[in-house]
This record gives sequence, C-alpha cells and structure tokens, in this order.
Amino acid sequence: MIPPFEYKIPNTIEETCDLLWKAKGKAKIIAGGTDLVIGLRNGDQAPSVIIDITRIEQLRKIEEKNSTLSIGATVTHSEIASSPSVRKYGKVLSDAASEIGSPQIRNVGTIGGNIVNASPAADTLPPLMVLNAMGRVISKEEERQVPLAQLFKGPYQTQLKPHELLVQISFQKLHPEVKSSFVRLARRDAMAIARMNVAVVFQVEQSRIKDIRIAVGSVTPTPQRMSGAETFLEGEKLEEKLLKKASLKVSETMIRQSGIRPSTSYKQPVVEALFIRAMKKALEE
Amino acid sequence: MNMRQVGIEIPKVDVLEKALGEAKYGADLPCQEPLHLKVLRSPTSHAKIVRMQMEKALRVSGVERIFTAKDIPGKNLVGTIVKDQPILASDRVRYIGDAVALIAARTEEAAEEAAQKVVVVYEDLPSIIHPEEALHPHAPLIHEKGNLLLEFHVIKGDVQKGFKEAEVVVEETYTTTWVDHAYLEPDAGISYLDEKGRITIVCPTQNVHYDQKEVASVLSLPLDQVRIIQCSTGGGFGGRLDVTIQCLLALAAFHLKQPVRIVYSREEVFQVTSKRHPLTIRYKSGAKKDGKLIAIEVDILGDTGAYASYGGTVAIRSAVHATGPYQVPNVKVRSRMAYTNNSWSGAMRGFGVPQMAFAHESQMDLLAQALKMDPIEIRLKNCLRVGSETATGQTLTASVGIGETLKKVKEWRDKLSLLKDDSKKPFIKKGVGIGSMWYGIGNTGIANPSTAQMEIDPDGEIRLFTGVADIGQGSDTVLLQIASEAIGVSLDEIRLIRADTAVTTDAGATSASRQTYISGNAILDAIKNLKHSAIQEASQLLNIDENDLFFENGKVKSRTCLTTSIPLREIAKRCAKILKGEGSFDPETTKLDPQTGQGVPYATYAFATHLAEVEVDTESGKVSVNRVIASHDVGKAIHPQNVIGQIMGGVAMGTGFALMEEYVPGEKTSFVNYLIPTSKDVPEVIPIVVEDKEPTGPFGAKGVGEPALIPSAPAILNAIAEAIGQRIYDLPANLERVLGAVQKRKLA
Repeated sequence: MIPPFEYKIPNTIEETCDLLWKAKGKAKIIAGGTDLVIGLRNGDQAPSVIIDITRIEQLRKIEEKNSTLSIGATVTHSEIASSPSVRKYGKVLSDAASEIGSPQIRNVGTIGGNIVNASPAADTLPPLMVLNAMGRVISKEEERQVPLAQLFKGPYQTQLKPHELLVQISFQKLHPEVKSSFVRLARRDAMAIARMNVAVVFQVEQSRIKDIRIAVGSVTPTPQRMSGAETFLEGEKLEEKLLKKASLKVSETMIRQSGIRPSTSYKQPVVEALFIRAMKKALEE
Repeated sequence: MNMRQVGIEIPKVDVLEKALGEAKYGADLPCQEPLHLKVLRSPTSHAKIVRMQMEKALRVSGVERIFTAKDIPGKNLVGTIVKDQPILASDRVRYIGDAVALIAARTEEAAEEAAQKVVVVYEDLPSIIHPEEALHPHAPLIHEKGNLLLEFHVIKGDVQKGFKEAEVVVEETYTTTWVDHAYLEPDAGISYLDEKGRITIVCPTQNVHYDQKEVASVLSLPLDQVRIIQCSTGGGFGGRLDVTIQCLLALAAFHLKQPVRIVYSREEVFQVTSKRHPLTIRYKSGAKKDGKLIAIEVDILGDTGAYASYGGTVAIRSAVHATGPYQVPNVKVRSRMAYTNNSWSGAMRGFGVPQMAFAHESQMDLLAQALKMDPIEIRLKNCLRVGSETATGQTLTASVGIGETLKKVKEWRDKLSLLKDDSKKPFIKKGVGIGSMWYGIGNTGIANPSTAQMEIDPDGEIRLFTGVADIGQGSDTVLLQIASEAIGVSLDEIRLIRADTAVTTDAGATSASRQTYISGNAILDAIKNLKHSAIQEASQLLNIDENDLFFENGKVKSRTCLTTSIPLREIAKRCAKILKGEGSFDPETTKLDPQTGQGVPYATYAFATHLAEVEVDTESGKVSVNRVIASHDVGKAIHPQNVIGQIMGGVAMGTGFALMEEYVPGEKTSFVNYLIPTSKDVPEVIPIVVEDKEPTGPFGAKGVGEPALIPSAPAILNAIAEAIGQRIYDLPANLERVLGAVQKRKLA
C-alpha cells in the first residue's frame, strides 16, 4: 500500500525549486516514475510530497549550442534513442538509451531519472561518463555545473542536496572521427537490469590510441572511469595483445573497488571480454 | 470419417470477449460493497506461534473482524491427497508466507494497516533447507509423522545383471530448482451467500469440485451448502490446482454473512503459491555397443517444502517416467519426496516429468557420445513402439508416435546446415540438440473419472454441462467441438454450462493433460445416451420399432423408410420434455504395485521430440535459442490452432526453465527479480503435429498441454553441450553456469 502524499505539478523550474525548498527534504521528484513507483510500492520511498516535473518545457529539450549538446532532465530514453543529434554527436549514449528495459519503459523513463536514481547498473551512466558529461543543478540557493563523475556517492546515492534539482546534462559533441561503442550484457534480451555495461570513446591517430575514455557499469558501487586502463592505453599502438593487457587493468580496478565477492569469479573474465568487445565494436562502426 | 467440427480452423469460443477485454477475471468481478480481506503471513520459515495480539489492529478504523485458526469451524487442513496444510496456522509456521491471520475491513487500506498492527510473537525453530538434511535420522520434524512424505519404487528385471551386460555405462547427477508458474492473473475472487444461502465463491481455479470439497471440510458444511463458480482464469499451469484464496474467502463470508473480496498482489502470489519441485536425480544408464539400452538405475530426491500438496504425485510420476520414451528391460528407480521449510512445491505443468526429461535426455546424449552414435539414431533405436513394454510392465497397444516425432525432426535436421561458426564472432558457438519425452495422460494409476450431461429442452435449446475449468488452454472450444461433431449440430447451437458446482458435475481437474481425452470421452458417452433416449422417444412418436431407427446429423432416421427423419429438437418439442444424456468416463488403469511400481498407470501416452538450435556466447555465458522444431504426437488435433498455441507456449516456458527461471524462497519477490523469457528471448518455433490416433480417445485425441513444455529444456541443454563441448547438469543454465562450463572445457 502506498502511503498518501501530495502531488504537485509545477510549470517552471523556479516553482519546483520553491516546492523542494519548502518540503525540507520530504519531497521526491517524479518524471517517468519507473524507479520511484517501484520504491513507493515496496516501501523504500515514503515522501510526503511528489513533484511532477514533466510539464516543465525547458526540461524536455535537446539543444545544440556551438560545440555542446544539452539534454533536458525529462527527455525520455526513446527521445534520446531517436534523436538525430544525439546519434550524430553522442552515439554511445543513443545506443545505450535504445537498449534500456522495454519500449514502455523507454517511453516514460528519463535521462535525469536514470542519473539521480544512481543505480550502479544504470545504462546511461557509462556513456555519460565517457562523454565527460556535466550536470546542471539548480536550487533556491544557487545554480551549479557539476561533472557527472562527482555526482555519485554510493549505490543509489547522489551528492545532490534534497532541495536541488538536476535540470540538464551536457557534453562536448564528439567529432565524426571519434570511435565509440556501448556493450551490454543481461540475463535476458529485454526488461532486464544490466549484468554489465561498458562504454568506450577514443580516437585513433596513426594507429595509436588517443583520448581514450572507458567506463564500466554494474561492477563498482558507483559508475567509474577505468583510469588505469585509460592511462595504460593512451598513445599506444592498437594491437590485440595490448587490449588483452588493458582488459586486465579493467578487472583490477573492478576488484580494487568492489573487493572479491562470490560473483567475482564470473565478473572478472566477463568484464575483460566485454571491454575488448567494446573496443573492437567501436573500431568496426 | 468426414468430420465437420473436429480438426478444423475455428476461433476459440472465448477469444472475442478476451480480446475485447470483456472477460471478467477474479479482480474484475462485480461485488456490492464487499469487505476486503488481507492475510497476515509468517516472516520466518519455521517457528512456534507464542502469542498473537489483535487489540491495536482491531482499533484501526474500518476493520470488521480478524480471523485466526480458532475461527475455523471444520478441519483446518487442506491438500489434494495428504491433508497437512492449515488455512491459518494455529501453533506453528513452516515457511516464509504461512498464513497466520485474516483481516476483513471496509477498505483495502484499512485491512493492510491492521495487518501491520497485529502483533505475533514467534519462537524460532531450526529450519531445514535441504531435503537430504530433512531425511537425516536426527533432523527436527517439520510434521509429526516425519520428514519423508513418500517413497516409491519402480523395479523391473534385474539391473545388476543388466549393468554387467552393459558395454557402456554413464552415471551423472542432475539438479533442478523452484520454478514459478508465472500465470498472468494474480489470484483474486469474491464470496457471498447466493439466493439459496449457499457459501458461494467465484474465483480462478483449475477444479471447482475439488475446491468445493475443501471449503466444505474447512467450514464443516455439507457439500451442497458450498458453491464454487470459476470465473475467467488467467492461466494455471498447475498453480491453481491447490486451493489458494477459496477457503479464506469462504471463512470470512461464512462468519460475516456479507460479500467479501480478496486480491493478491503479485508479490503475494510469488511468496505463497506452489512452485515446481526441485529434484536431485542420480541417473545411471547402461547400453550395449549397438546403442540398445539395457539397464537404468535412478535415484530421485525431491523437495516438497513445507506441505505435501502434489509431492507424492510428483514422486510417483517422475519415477514412472524415469526411462523416458524408451524400452529398457532392467529398471530400478527409487523416488523420495521430503519436507523442508522452503516454499511449498506443488503441481506444475508436467508433475516432475520436465525435470526427469532433462536427466534422461542428457543421459541419451552421453551414451550417444560414448558410442559415437547420432543422437537421433540412438533414440530411434530405443524408442517405444506398438508392442513395447514400459518400465511398469504395461504393453503399449496403439498410438505410440515417438518414432514418428523423431523421424520428422530428423528430416528437418538433415536439411539444415547449422554448424557454421561465425568467423567475425569467434566467441559465439552454435549447437543443435534433441529432446524427447513421453507423458501419461491423466492421473497415475488411480481412478480419475469425468462426468458430463448433454440435454435438449422442448424449446429447442441444446445444452452441454461440464465441470471442466477452461483456464485458457481451450477446453471450452474443444469440448464443444467434440459435442457438436458427435451430435451433428453446429457448434454455436450448443450452449455450454461449465465449472459451476451448483449446475455441473465433477469432471476432475484441468491437469495431467487429461480434459480432452477424459472429459471429451465423458461427453461422447453422454451424447450416446442422449441419442439412445432420443431414439426411444422417436420410436413412440413415430410408432416405429427402435431397432429400425438410428441417429445421424442431429436427426433420428429410419433405416427402412428413407423419407422418415425427425430432428432432435422436434422430438423434444413433441414429447414436451427435456431429453437428457448422462455420461462418464474413467480411463482404464490399474493400481501400481506398492513394492515394484508395476501396473498400468495410464490408458494412453503422448509423445514428442524437440530440436533446439542455440548460440552460446562463450565469453559471457549468454545463450540464445534461435529456433525450436517441435514435433508432437497428440493422437488427433481437435483444434489444430490450439495445439500449435500450446506448443508455442510450451517452448517459451521450456526456454525459461532451461535458461533463467530460478525461484529462491525469501529472495525472489516479483517479476522484477524473477525473470521469465520476453518476446525477445523466445525462439522461432516450427510446430509439427503428428497424429497417431488413440483408439480410446475422442476422435483419436490424447493431450498436449504438458507435453508441449517437456522436451524444450532437454533439447536446449543438449544443444548447449554440443556447442561448447561441455555438459551442464544443473538447471537453469544461467550465465554463471554456462561460463563455468566453458572454463571447465578449456581446462580439460
């Protein structure tokens, strides 16, 4: 049984910030509700106010400005997957959005929701991490830009203050020559939480790797860039053996962050393989 | 025989109301101002109930009454065969989810709030998790009579001698786990006193007459004071053979004398309804060099969980089916079912045979491998045929289509060029696997009759009465087809009255793939008798000797005078009374010998073979089933589309059983973490219907409901083994197990 709550539908960001401020931490934001409603139903969430932000036009836009692409917090996964500009300038994110859940979930679930829910397995997070995405956060007190990587505190926990609202994500457009890919593994082919998800972005100049960024989801408490592997690969010649060695760096990072668990014997070889697969997929595309 | 209603393509009779959303399922039933019921359940798997305090809960506004075991006027134990499951626990709980109290309130919210305010003090008892542990001599007792529910043996020939003669022997241990039925409709229903003051329950169910007996026993009422009406039922798969909500509804309506309603959440369905029995199967097979099976020795240990339910049935049926559809001269099977403090296991599509088929089909492939034989050839060499004797000593006299299903699959396989591994994706390995099965139609070695009535009244209405519950499998349509074919009037001229204990008689359960065969035959018997009385009446009306009259196409005709014919309706009208035919059918079986399991457990068997094509991602353990060729001997397809529908659904369920379905008591709570295949995970299915007619079946029909599921998982597992060169012995073949097998293969 879902305990009673007030339901507010503001039309502007300012109104939302006022409502959040007044609620003193007892409010929850709803957009698609694909995570929140489950939380309400199983008792994990019991807010006294729910603020529906889907009527705020500003949050529903995908905008190009010079070299930046910005996506409003309530843009749905379906909209991201079908947006020509996201496909052009951030294909890795577009690919990930198209694989989330099911058509029903993609039609209502939003990118902002996927971020602030902070699930270690969230599919848009590894792509956003390799895109060096920034979040624009607004509250009654201030407005700030925060690198996505600094937004997470732990599984299902963000650094956002209760009265803050994530309004937008933005990243630098990828140049056409940049290679990228997203690889996902789950227990079934739809409507399943990722067992692992890998995003990579890099360039190849004179057969050497440049500006490589690697992020792996579902294997660490918060989404992480695999900086050990990145440093190892940067400037190196792209060879099979090298990828194999780099994949060991990826699994090392996983184990360092998450420790040895019963699932490690499975995850270790698989994360290595999926990383290599992501690199090869990026080269093919 | 040229048939007009059987074997043709017609829409199912309920298809339109379901497609339009007009069908009323449990939660849709209209009910005037009902009180809402909510069950308080045990959070712990084994404990004594020290005390319960209701005061706070009773003070919640809107709460009418809270029932406990003390409020049960009759026997507080239910169960299909062994009655050991309380409706509300009195002094002890035996699994996480045992019902402890029942709250009736004016709103669902109040009922739920009250449930949270009932205080129950438990004193934990040691819990038993594994059946081996349960059978240990010093194990704590879950039920006073002991932790062994049942032990059953099938013994034929001399296995010791058989294994001595064997030239190749393989021995392995197989395990399977809990599976949820995952029927679409959560249990829900209503109860009220009908115009005759009977306690009436309307709910989804697979057997109204069984429900009636249980409710009457719990309330200590005569049978005719309890009425069960089946509403549209969103699937069953065995999960609605046990009572779920019936006795709870009845108890509340009995005391409160006003309408009550209950709707389970999906979480509740997962927690408290039965599951497929996990079995551990140690299986030893011996064969001659030419591939002929000579002996098998099988040991089966099952987990029935907290209560008996169908545990005994599963222990017996799995033992009887242990050989698979093969002739084996020397057989020794021991099958045991033990109580634990896990979720209770019950009937689920196949009653243990899907688990057994996984084992015997893996064994067949292992033998083929050891003998360097083709997997289909070794099966063809051993498969049952007319004249074969089964492990229980039954000689099969007709309708043994296993060989034909194998040949049909072989034709497909031989024209496929499958094993091309993709050079672009060297980590993908492809494989093809075969799975065969046999399945006895109806209950095992016990009476399982059905009854039916067919009548025509003077106004011309033709009515078919049956107690059969259509749970989506299509019996309403199939039984009407049988009736309309036999009586010679079109299907839409017959009114079907079904599954209401006040107006229909016992047809037994919609289970064991039995309703087409058994209730179909009962209807044919009713029609035979109706025709007989029509001829008698016509004889008087026409003043013609009975022996000169016969029945054809809905009319009574004279043999001698070709122009004399009188339609059935005309007879009823002219004699101004209801013409009625009573019918019954009980398949010919014998009781199985308690020591050796010898006897005739079933009158007929269905047979099937599946071929599965899989791709295994050897780096992640992910398996994709690309296609399944599913060949089924159903005797005769009364409704071919429906048979194909059963096969499609069976393959989907089999894919889940093979690859992902894994219930864990206390951990898996809903479809969020209990995964079943989605449309993207289900393979393409090529159904092949083989019709080796059963002489005792209605128009030659047998059954297909459970057979559709059984061969899929074995075929998929055999295909995985072929793809990666390493066999998996534990279901499901999830990511971790498949990757583990790949790694094991690399080390070998």
